Amino acid sequence: MSFLSLVGVEFKKIKRSKILLILFVATVILWIPSILNAQMNFDMQAEGISPENNFFIQGFMGMAWFMFPASMVVGTVLLSQTERTNKGILKMLALPISTAKLCMAKFIVLLALAVLQIGMAVGMYYVGAAIASSTQNYNFILQPLFVFKEAGLIFAAAIPMLAFFWLLSVCIQTPIFSIGIGLASIVPSVLMINTKAWFAYPMSYPFFAITAEYGKLATNLDTAQVELIPWIPVAIVITILCLGISCTRFGQAERR
Amino acid sequence: MSVSLECKKAKRTGFLPAFFGGGILAAVVPVINMAVRSEMYLNLPGNPIQILLDANWQMMTMLNVLLVVAGACLLYHTEYADNAMQKMNSLPIRESSIFLGKTVLTIFMSLFVLVIEAGAVTFCTYHWFEIGNGFFGELCKYFGYSFLLMLPCIILSLLIAEACKNMWVSLGIGVVCVFTATMLPTTNFALSLFPFAIPFQVFTSSDVTQSMHYIYAVAAELVVLAFAELIFIKVRRSFE
Repeated sequence: MSFLSLVGVEFKKIKRSKILLILFVATVILWIPSILNAQMNFDMQAEGISPENNFFIQGFMGMAWFMFPASMVVGTVLLSQTERTNKGILKMLALPISTAKLCMAKFIVLLALAVLQIGMAVGMYYVGAAIASSTQNYNFILQPLFVFKEAGLIFAAAIPMLAFFWLLSVCIQTPIFSIGIGLASIVPSVLMINTKAWFAYPMSYPFFAITAEYGKLATNLDTAQVELIPWIPVAIVITILCLGISCTRFGQAERR
Repeated sequence: MSVSLECKKAKRTGFLPAFFGGGILAAVVPVINMAVRSEMYLNLPGNPIQILLDANWQMMTMLNVLLVVAGACLLYHTEYADNAMQKMNSLPIRESSIFLGKTVLTIFMSLFVLVIEAGAVTFCTYHWFEIGNGFFGELCKYFGYSFLLMLPCIILSLLIAEACKNMWVSLGIGVVCVFTATMLPTTNFALSLFPFAIPFQVFTSSDVTQSMHYIYAVAAELVVLAFAELIFIKVRRSFE
């Protein structure tokens, strides 16, 4: 079976899982406070950031801090638990397909969920910005090119984090530990971005990247900037390591 | 009988070590915070427990609430994963007594987590401040209050976990609720009554009337949630 059709099969499996609904509700809740408090964006001009940029970046910071990583933990639970019911995974492992391929196909689905959620957040941003523009009589809508660039940045920064979450859900069979470690690892990311060793902690990447962007947009604010040299190699090593281990460990517990 | 049965079910699911680990993790937060930047807090006026909780409670509660959500999902996941719930339903046990058993277990474990955290606060006070007269009475007051405020969150997350047969749906709803709670302004009284937002409140000895309002609100929420649970079971059984 080709890799693409495997990915297609994985998508079919989660078709009726209601995951998209959950991701969508989360993005809607993300923008509601921003719309209600839209006038507060004008106060931030003291920091040297324009109201429309502030509206956008505050919302995305809220997303990158907790909502997006936590939703992705839910996504890994979905991918690992749908097939535990009625031992579906045993049937998949009995097929003449390499387990590494199967594991990667599931990871691609996780990436797709991430893209979908970020996409929905961008969509809701435009809805929210349109509403805020009409209530405040000020144009909050930004250029699509800029918005998509930032969204792409969050996604790219999230890949090592997703690989780590995937490693947790593949290697740890007891669901509470994989969920617990995943969720608990998100909480200290706020602290980690203020330390020198932030690049060793993949859960803080999306939030760090977006905070750095905030610092760039607000001329009076001084946030830590991305240093590509330790970051990119470390991120690549973490991603490859996590994916490599999860590919070799995938299905081991069932095969015993 | 029901509670001991629930304990046995939770035995090999990693429920107990998860709460133990989570409690330790949350307890480490104030210790690390004091170890790294104690100079920020040592000169603040007021009693040491208040200072420590104001500085660290947000993060500690976040961990507690996430732990409760994940634990509640797991407790019902063990029932739904291999259709154990059908077997439970065929026994001469009420469905609400299963819920009660799980609630008591979760409440007990949350109490355990809070005791670990209280221990950490005591350690920080002993090491960086000094333990004055009546310190332990104060400590009991603060953590007893936090414990009361945890109750609606525990019951609501168990209710969500009971309502959804798939673990990711209940976990997803729980995560969305926690996220909503972090977005709500804590100063607004009506909004901070959301069961997932209420544990973020800290007891303030200067404003006891406000704290009493929260306790009344918690009592009201508990009554509402208990009725919701009873009605939910009745309604679902008539549709199954």
